[in-house]
Amino acid sequence: MAEYEVVGKPVERTDGRVKATGKARYAGDLVAPGMLHGKILRSPHAHAKILNIDTSKASKLPGVMAVITGKDFPGIPFGTRPDTRDQIPMPITKVHHFGEGVAAVAAIDEDTADAALDLITVEYEELPVVLTAEDALAPGAPLVNEFCKSNVAYTSDFVFGDPEEGFKQSDYIKEETFSSQRVAVGFIEPHACLAEVDATGRVLLQGSKQSPYPTWRHMCRALDLPLSKMRLVTPFVGGAFSGKHDPFDVDFAAVKLAQITNRPVKIVLNYDEVLAAYRQRNAMNATLKMGLKKNGKIMALKAECVLEGGPIAGIGPFNIYFFGAWLNLPYKVPAIEYHGKLVYSNRAPCGTVRGQEIVLAQYAVDSMIGIVAEDLGIDQVEIRAINAATDNWTTANGIVIDVSGLPECIEKSAQTIGWKESRKARPKGRGIGFSCASHPSGVRLGGHFGSSVLLKLQEDGKVILTHGGTEIGQGCNTVFCQMAAEVLGIPFEDVIQGPSDSDTAILDSGMFSDRCTFWDGNATIAAANDLKRQLAEIAAQELKVDPKELEFKKGNIYIKSNPEKGMNLLKAVRIAYYDLGTPLYGRGYWAATDIDLVDWKTGRGNLAHGIDFIATAIEMDVDRETGQVRLIRAAHGDDAGQPIHPVMLEGQVNGGSAHMTGHALMEDSLYDEKGRMLNFSWRDYKQPTALDVPEYIVDHVHTHDPYGPFGAKGAGEASSCSSLAAIANGVYDAVGVRIKDLPITAEKILAELKKKEGK
Amino acid sequence: MIPLTLTVNGVTYTINVEPNRTLVDVLRDVLGLTGTKKSCNEGECGACTVLMDDKPVASCLVLAVDADKKSITTIEGLAMGEDLHPLQVAFVRNGGIQCGYCTPGMIMSAKALLDHNPDPTPLQVRTALVGNLCRCTGYQQIVDSVIAAAKAMRK
Amino acid sequence: MFVRRLPKFDYHTPASLPEALKLLSAHGKDAKLLAGGTDLILAMKQHTVAPGHLINLKTIPGLSGIKADAKGLTIGALTTMAEIEGSTIIKETYTPLWDAACVMASPQVRTLATIGGNLVSAVPSADTAPPLMVLSAQAHITGPAGERTCPVEALFAGPSACSIAPGDVVTRITIPLPAGKGAYLKLMRRAALDLALVGVAAYVNLDAKNVCTDVKIALGAVAPTPIRATAAEAALLGKVLTEETAAQVGKVAGTECRPITDVRASQEYRCSMVEVLTKRALLQAMNRAAQGGKK
Repeated sequence: MAEYEVVGKPVERTDGRVKATGKARYAGDLVAPGMLHGKILRSPHAHAKILNIDTSKASKLPGVMAVITGKDFPGIPFGTRPDTRDQIPMPITKVHHFGEGVAAVAAIDEDTADAALDLITVEYEELPVVLTAEDALAPGAPLVNEFCKSNVAYTSDFVFGDPEEGFKQSDYIKEETFSSQRVAVGFIEPHACLAEVDATGRVLLQGSKQSPYPTWRHMCRALDLPLSKMRLVTPFVGGAFSGKHDPFDVDFAAVKLAQITNRPVKIVLNYDEVLAAYRQRNAMNATLKMGLKKNGKIMALKAECVLEGGPIAGIGPFNIYFFGAWLNLPYKVPAIEYHGKLVYSNRAPCGTVRGQEIVLAQYAVDSMIGIVAEDLGIDQVEIRAINAATDNWTTANGIVIDVSGLPECIEKSAQTIGWKESRKARPKGRGIGFSCASHPSGVRLGGHFGSSVLLKLQEDGKVILTHGGTEIGQGCNTVFCQMAAEVLGIPFEDVIQGPSDSDTAILDSGMFSDRCTFWDGNATIAAANDLKRQLAEIAAQELKVDPKELEFKKGNIYIKSNPEKGMNLLKAVRIAYYDLGTPLYGRGYWAATDIDLVDWKTGRGNLAHGIDFIATAIEMDVDRETGQVRLIRAAHGDDAGQPIHPVMLEGQVNGGSAHMTGHALMEDSLYDEKGRMLNFSWRDYKQPTALDVPEYIVDHVHTHDPYGPFGAKGAGEASSCSSLAAIANGVYDAVGVRIKDLPITAEKILAELKKKEGK
Repeated sequence: MIPLTLTVNGVTYTINVEPNRTLVDVLRDVLGLTGTKKSCNEGECGACTVLMDDKPVASCLVLAVDADKKSITTIEGLAMGEDLHPLQVAFVRNGGIQCGYCTPGMIMSAKALLDHNPDPTPLQVRTALVGNLCRCTGYQQIVDSVIAAAKAMRK
Repeated sequence: MFVRRLPKFDYHTPASLPEALKLLSAHGKDAKLLAGGTDLILAMKQHTVAPGHLINLKTIPGLSGIKADAKGLTIGALTTMAEIEGSTIIKETYTPLWDAACVMASPQVRTLATIGGNLVSAVPSADTAPPLMVLSAQAHITGPAGERTCPVEALFAGPSACSIAPGDVVTRITIPLPAGKGAYLKLMRRAALDLALVGVAAYVNLDAKNVCTDVKIALGAVAPTPIRATAAEAALLGKVLTEETAAQVGKVAGTECRPITDVRASQEYRCSMVEVLTKRALLQAMNRAAQGGKK
C-alpha cells in the first residue's frame, strides 16, 4: 500500500471555512447593480392546451419591467440526444405537467413580481391526463410530448450469453415483480440563478447548476446563441444529486428577461415549486426472472422494465439502458435477457438521482437474491459471496472489472453488523438486511466526455487549479487540490481552488455518474505532470542532471540517486518567471478513449473504468403493532480503491444510504387522478431527519484501481444503490414481510402482517 | 414603514421596514447577512435557523417587526475575527459540511443545544437537530462534529 | 397553490388586553391576532388568509408564564411550547402536556409556537388538545362581553374552526392538580417533525390495587375535532388496569374514532393505531404512576 503525503489524508476541505462561516455564496445570495427579481407563473393543470396568455395587465403594473411566455423563445427544441430533442424552454402550445412554468415576470422587487403573477390570465383547454406507464401504453392514449409521435420515448433490448440454456440448467427459478415510486431529488437549496447580458449581447449566467456543460450547450441551442455568447460562472451549489444538470425554465426565463430588460435578473424558487415541478426519479415497474443452481449460483436473468419519466425524455434513454446494463453487476450473471421501455407521462419531468438507475435495478436484484436465498435455505451473506464479482471479471455485456474488493466488503459488513451472532439469537422484531451494489466511476457516453484541468503556478509558488466541473458538496475541489499537491510534492495549502468559470475552464461533461474523482482526478495528475516536466527542465539545467533523474517532494526538487543535491521548487518557479520570463501552466486531460462508447442498440460495451463496490448491512427493529421501522445501525463495506480523503469518502457513503432511506420508507411524490401533485411541500413530502437514519459505520476495503488516480475509484453513489434492498431485506428478516412496491410504509407492513396472521 | 431596533451579532441596527418583511429577508436583503439561507419558507427545513434571544427560531416565520428590541445571532456572529467557533472548527474537520447549504442553520441549532446541554449524547444531538434537514451527509458526521465540538468546549 | 410573498397589512402592538380587544372590535374579520405566528404567517404566505390588520399579542405583559400552586397550574396563552418543554413542574406533574411539547414540530418552531395558538388553530391534530382534555383543562377567554371559561375541547368547533368569537382572546389555560398520571403518544410518518396521524392522551388515577378510579382518554387527528373516547373510559373505570384490560380498552377506543383517509394515512390504519396507542398510553400512564409512588 503506497504511502502518500497528501492523498489519503483527512486534510481540511478547501471550502470548509467559507461554508462554516456563512461566507460561501450560492446563486440566491448574488446581487448585481440594477438587478430585477423574477417569478414564474405555473400551470394548475397536468395536461392542457394553452389557448391564450394575456400578460397585458401584468405588464402595466408599476414596477414590472417585462413579462414573457414560451413564445418569446426561438422555438428550437433541445434534448440529451440528437434523436430525443423534445424540450423547449417554456411551453408554447400546451402544458405537460402540473406546475410547469407558463409565464415569467421581472420586476423591481419580489413583492411586485409576485403580485404580477395574479394579473396574468391563461386560458387552458384541459386534455386527458396520462398519469402512469399503463396509461401511456394504453391503445389510443393521448400523446404527451408534441415532438414525439409515440408515448414510448426510448427502448433498450439486449441478450447476452444463452439465457434459455441458463434457465434449463437452473435448479431453481423465481419470478417476481417490483415497483418503485416517484420521488423528489431533495437537495436543500432550491433552484436559483442570476442572469446578465453585456453590451455585446454576451450572457453571463450564475446559477445553481450541477454541470455547466449540458446547461451551456442546451441553452445556447434553445436560445439560438453561439456558444461563445454565453459564459457560465457557477457559485457554490447547495446539493444537486443529478437534479440540476439541465437548464430549467428558471435559467431560460432569467436570461430572456435579462435580454429584454437589459438588466440583471435573479430568479430564486421556493422549495414547494421545486417539489411540484422539477426533477424527480422516474417510477419503475420491473419483472425479474432469476435462475440459480441449488448451491445459489446465478445461471440466468431475464428482466423487463418500464420507466415512467414525465413529459421529456431527458437522460431517460440512458436510464432505460443503464437499468439493464447494470443488472450484470455486482453479481456474476452468465446470461441475461433485457427489455426496457421509457414512457412519457404528465407527471413532473425526470432526470436521474444519486445512484442513477442502478438504485432501482439493485433494489430488484438484491430483493430477489434475498428471496431465493430464503427459498433455497442458503445464508444471506453466503449467497452474495458465492456470486460476487471478482478481479479481472468481464460481464456478459462486456464490462471489465479490473479490481473488485466485493468479497472483502461482504465479509467486513457482515462482521461489523454481527451477522453470525444475530442468527443465533436476536430480539423479536429485530432484523438485518443485506445488499451489495457496484457503480462505475464515470461512464463514457457520446460527444464531449473528457475532463480537463488547468494548473496555474504563480510566481509565489502557489497553484491555482481550475477544472470544468462544479463543487456540489461532494468535495471534488478538495480532492483535486490534494492530487495536484501530491504530484508536485508541495503542501496541500499551496494549491488553491480557482473559480468555476466557463471562460477559463474547459467545461467537462458534468458532475454525475461518480466521474469526478476518476476523470477529473486523472486530468489533474496529467496537468500536474505537465507542470512537473516544465519545472524539471529548469531544475535539470541548474542541477546539471537529466530531468528524468529528478523527484518532487516536500517543496523540493532533488536528484533521486543523490537526495542531498536539490533545490527549492520555489526557486525553479522564480527562475521561470524572473530569469526566463516564462509563465508556468500545467494542462491535462483524460477522456478514457480506451473504453467503449456505449452501443445503444446492442447494449454491449465496456462503458466504464473503476467499478466501485459496496456491501451494505442494515440492522432494524420493526414494530409489529404499528408497522413502523426503526433503523439502528448500517455497516457498509466499501471498495473505492485508494481513498483520497477518508473523511469525505465516509460522508459520501453515509449520505447516499441516508438519502435512499427516505426513498425506501417515507418519500412518495403523490398525484391525484388529474395529475395534480398532492404533496409539494416538505410538510407532506417527508425526507429523513437526523432521527430517521441509523448510525453509519464504514469499513474501507482498500484496493488499487489500475486506471484510477492514485488507484482511486469513484465513491459517491454506491451506497445509494445498496440501501433500498438492504432495508427491504431487513424488514423481511425482522417480521417476515416482503414489500415489493416502494415505499415500504408502516401501513403496508401492518397490512401484510395482518394478512399473515389471518386477520 | 415601522421603525425597528435589531441587535444582530452584537451590532445594533435602527431601520425602517414594512411589517410584511420576514426576519430572514431583512437579515439577508437589508443587512446583507446572506449566511442565513432560505429554502422552504414554511418552517419545515431549518435552513433559516437563527438564534433569537439565544433560542433557535425559524426566521422565515418571524416578522422582522416582531423581532424588535431582540438580540439575533446568525452564523456570521460565531467566529471571532479569524478564530472560528469550536462548532465551526469541528464541522470543518469532521465531515460535517458537504454542500454547506444546511450548515448555517445546523450550526445555529447545535449552538443552542450546547449552550443548554454541554455534554449531549448522540441521541440528544439528533433530537436537537431534527428540524434541520440535510441531504448530503446522512447526519452521522454532523452528529460527530457536534460531539467533537462539545468535547473541545468543555476543556 | 404555492408559497407567495406576504400580503401587506397594518401592524399593531397593543400595550394592554383592553387595547387589543378594542382593535379587534374595530377591525372585525379584517384583523388577526399574532401569537407565535407559526400557523398564521404560513397561512398568509399561502394567501389563504389576508388580514388587513395584525394585532401582536406578545407586546401585552402577563399573557405568558407558568404558575403552579396547590390547586393547579395556570399557563398563559402565549407561553411557548419550548417553555412548556423546559418546565420541570409540567414534566413531573402534568406529564401528557410535556409529552406533547416534546413531539411537536421542531426546536426552532417550538420557540415560537404558543399553547394558545395551537388550540385556537383548531386543527384536529393539535398536539396540546388531547393532553389538556384528559387533564380537564379549562380555557379562559376575554372578550367584549367580559370573561368566561370553557373546557378546552369546547374551543374546537370543526376542522380549523375555533368556537370563539372574532372579538375574543384566549388568555390562559388552567389545569387542576391531577391526582394520577398520564401520557400522550403521537404517531407520525417519520421519527419527528410531522403532524399527528393519530394522537392519544390517557390519564388514570389508580388505587393501591391498580383499580382505575378515574380515567380520561382523548384522541386527536381521528375526527373533525379532538374527542374523548368516553366508551373506552367507561370500559376501564372501576376495573384493574393490566396489559390485557389496556388492550381491550384500546379496542373500544378504536371504534370511537371517525378518521378520514388522506395523503398522510388511511382510515383503517388510523383506527388500528388508535387501538394500539390507547393501549400503550394507558400502560405508560400506569408505569409512571408506579414510578411516582401513590398517595
